[in-house]
Amino acid sequence: MRCAIAFLAAAAAAGAAEQPGFEQRVRSVIEAHAHPRRGEPGYGTIAARLWLREDAAWCSERLEQLLAAGPSGDMFWMFPVTAIAHLDRGQLTPGARKALREAWRTYFPYRGDTENHWLLYYTMLYLMTELYPNDGPETWYTGKPSAENREEARRWIESWIRLTTRRGQGEYDSPHYASMFLIPMAYLSAWSSDPGLKRRASMMIEYLMADYAAENLDGTFVGAQSRVYDRQLLEKSANVANDFGWAWFGLGRPSSDPPSGYLLYYLLAHSEPPPEILRLIATDRSRPYTHYERKRTRNRWRFHDELHGPVYKTTYVRREYAVSSDQGGVLQPIQQHSWDVTWSVPEGRGVQNTFFTLNPHSSLRELQTYFVFSPDFGLTDVVRSKRFYDSPDKFSGGSPYEKIVQDQDTVIALYGVPEEARFPHINGFFSKDLAEIREDASGWIFMRGGDALIACRPFQPYVWKPIAGGGKRLFSPYRNNGVVVQAAAASEFRDLAAFAEAVKALPLEIGLEPLPWADFRSLRGSRIEFRYGQVPKVNGVALDYGKWPLFGGPFLESAVDSQVLTMRHGGLRRVLDFRK
Amino acid sequence: MRLFLLLALGVWPLEAQSVLHACAAMTQDYVVGAKLKPSGLFRRTGPGAWRHTGFNHPFLFGAAADPFDPSTLYLAGGNGLIRAAAHGEKWTILTGSDITELRDLWMDPGARNTIYIAHTAGIRVTRNGGKTWRELSAGLRRKYTEAVRGDARNPSVILAGGEEGIFRSEDRGGSWRLAGAAGFQIMRIEQSPHEPCFWLAATQQGGLFASRDCGASFENVGSVGAGSNLYDIAFDPVRPDRVALAGCGPGVLVSGDGGKSWEARNAGLPGAEVTSVVFDPERPGRMFAAVHEKAVYRSEDAGAAWTRDGLDGSHVNRLWFVREGRR
Repeated sequence: MRCAIAFLAAAAAAGAAEQPGFEQRVRSVIEAHAHPRRGEPGYGTIAARLWLREDAAWCSERLEQLLAAGPSGDMFWMFPVTAIAHLDRGQLTPGARKALREAWRTYFPYRGDTENHWLLYYTMLYLMTELYPNDGPETWYTGKPSAENREEARRWIESWIRLTTRRGQGEYDSPHYASMFLIPMAYLSAWSSDPGLKRRASMMIEYLMADYAAENLDGTFVGAQSRVYDRQLLEKSANVANDFGWAWFGLGRPSSDPPSGYLLYYLLAHSEPPPEILRLIATDRSRPYTHYERKRTRNRWRFHDELHGPVYKTTYVRREYAVSSDQGGVLQPIQQHSWDVTWSVPEGRGVQNTFFTLNPHSSLRELQTYFVFSPDFGLTDVVRSKRFYDSPDKFSGGSPYEKIVQDQDTVIALYGVPEEARFPHINGFFSKDLAEIREDASGWIFMRGGDALIACRPFQPYVWKPIAGGGKRLFSPYRNNGVVVQAAAASEFRDLAAFAEAVKALPLEIGLEPLPWADFRSLRGSRIEFRYGQVPKVNGVALDYGKWPLFGGPFLESAVDSQVLTMRHGGLRRVLDFRK
Repeated sequence: MRLFLLLALGVWPLEAQSVLHACAAMTQDYVVGAKLKPSGLFRRTGPGAWRHTGFNHPFLFGAAADPFDPSTLYLAGGNGLIRAAAHGEKWTILTGSDITELRDLWMDPGARNTIYIAHTAGIRVTRNGGKTWRELSAGLRRKYTEAVRGDARNPSVILAGGEEGIFRSEDRGGSWRLAGAAGFQIMRIEQSPHEPCFWLAATQQGGLFASRDCGASFENVGSVGAGSNLYDIAFDPVRPDRVALAGCGPGVLVSGDGGKSWEARNAGLPGAEVTSVVFDPERPGRMFAAVHEKAVYRSEDAGAAWTRDGLDGSHVNRLWFVREGRR
């Protein structure tokens, strides 16, 4: 109870100007999970108490109870019990330790079908076989001896590090699943006995942290994302990434009280503060900047000649807001988020601080590209857990009929939706938390969210539809369509009206036939020419996707295939070289 | 002593008999990481009675018994190729991290320990029971492979069904050429046990394709199953002219004239979303069919009428008989 109060105090302070220190934040998370206020204590409580070296007898008893009930959860079971096994350090009874070991013989976890599943699965298998390095095949669910399991796992982990540092993550920048990559790296850095893997895992923690640091706003992981859940897509601060931003850098508030178990498991293995340069990158929003990233698609089993396709991201960040995008298309199944404007909300809970449009898209082809779903049941299976996937009202997911270009804080999204598409319309998300929305006779819609001013010019007529829970949806039932979006800081204009006048004065031409196009001179002075299906031009020069960096911007630099990431801030420089 | 125990449990038949197995999943509410109801390999122990065998696993797609030791089963699963020894009880994963989500397998009846597998990124073969593997899909533009079968008479001939049609190799997978169903996702390929030059292939949306030239070429069989998805093909091991298909929409289709004409046999089934069908090799006219998330159904009259036979609520990827006991 004493510890839970300690967390409450820390969380309450988090909203104020003065954040508790890093060590205090770490301690408060572990204490809160060690002494939960609600619910039955689970693996997380056992792991936290073992870390604190508290109640060893209770930990053993509870562990045996949980294991006796039968493991479930696949890799999401593997990572909690692996932490327990490594945090044991002589505290568990022989019976509890034996029960835990036995579970790795009797329970057969599914390896999963995403990158985070595999990294969790193989890291945990690797670390468990390190604890029992000489055990025979009859003692593991795989039917393979320790050495074979370990080597298989090590090879996959190393291949993932290599691929990520050369071509980018496949399950990139997910404000939920980013934690599933951090946990294995934290475990390996703490518990692997292989010095090389331990070192590379430590570097990967910084690598992933840097990826987040450059694209966060008040702790919120902004931008185009591979996977995001429906609620957290709109209410940005409800993401697990916010827990990490708060713990690492003292940004914003955690997504929940106490913060998620994902943060707990990470901290149990890795409780060192981030390097100072990363703290500066994460918190310095004194000057606007544009940050570029190249990522990759998930494994495309069908309909493509290459297993992975490139993802080209652009993210513009300033104190008041961020604008981010990919190039459009279905780059990830189901939960992709392609572009948005996110405004700063230091106290973000419950606030839907974002604006974007999309063509709602669902298709068997999308599912069969990335999964092995059967043709008749794939859609139903997905909708059971992702109920908005096949909804015309949805706000998440990529579309093959959306093409995007971004220059600084200007986005042009074009839509060329064929007649046979399941949902031949455009949705726009207009948050309940927009302070003002004005529809101008010119066709522009002007709005203010926090200290961000946003202008949106739909190409076609639209109607408003209410959103359950607040806000409204722009619905435009025209297949050839588009939007031009321009953001600016409130500090740049006297008021929304002045911003509106400035935007209306910008040269803009749009067309719809045979496919949509736009020619726009942005508020920042760039001329952006974009025709659906063609490479966009900025200031007369076609974008050269071939030269897109793995990371590029004032803070992070990495060339494709280099395996080297250079971080810079002021006079500070830090290099992560994965070739060594 | 061990044999006595097995007999006492009624697990292992003394006399030879064919036992129905199912690769089935209770995955209605399952997503990765969720609690999984008993899923994986099931063995039919009596009318309407099934026993879950081996580990719980959500995705088993293909299966075969070792032709040289039918007590050892092989399962094409999400985690890889699984050798399920001791009648499915004792599992060993035979593949590694370089392949996943296996779709199908074929065991060469003439070569011990030779197994072909179809997976999301190609086709592989082992000739030593899974110790080493060789990738065979280098010559295929698109690698995703849903079905693989070899010619029982001539093991140099391998047929593979991918996202672009049926491909044939005459050099054990060294090279491939398109044999038919161009542009269609293949769901299943089977060779007639009676007439080795007669092959059938089921497709997604394209209907049924047949070959009567030993798999050299496949032609569309009229409108059978066209516009829907066919999931399974079963040749009656007793009556050479009888063949069945399973599909979503058509349900169970049965032909009594070697595939020339087809008749829907769905009376008594709760729906027409049928994912697998099989003939009982020992009871002429007896069939089993799996209806998606309903149950397995049994017919004693080649599909004229059906009664429920267990695995309620399951999705079955494969029904198959294993010949067990004294040979």
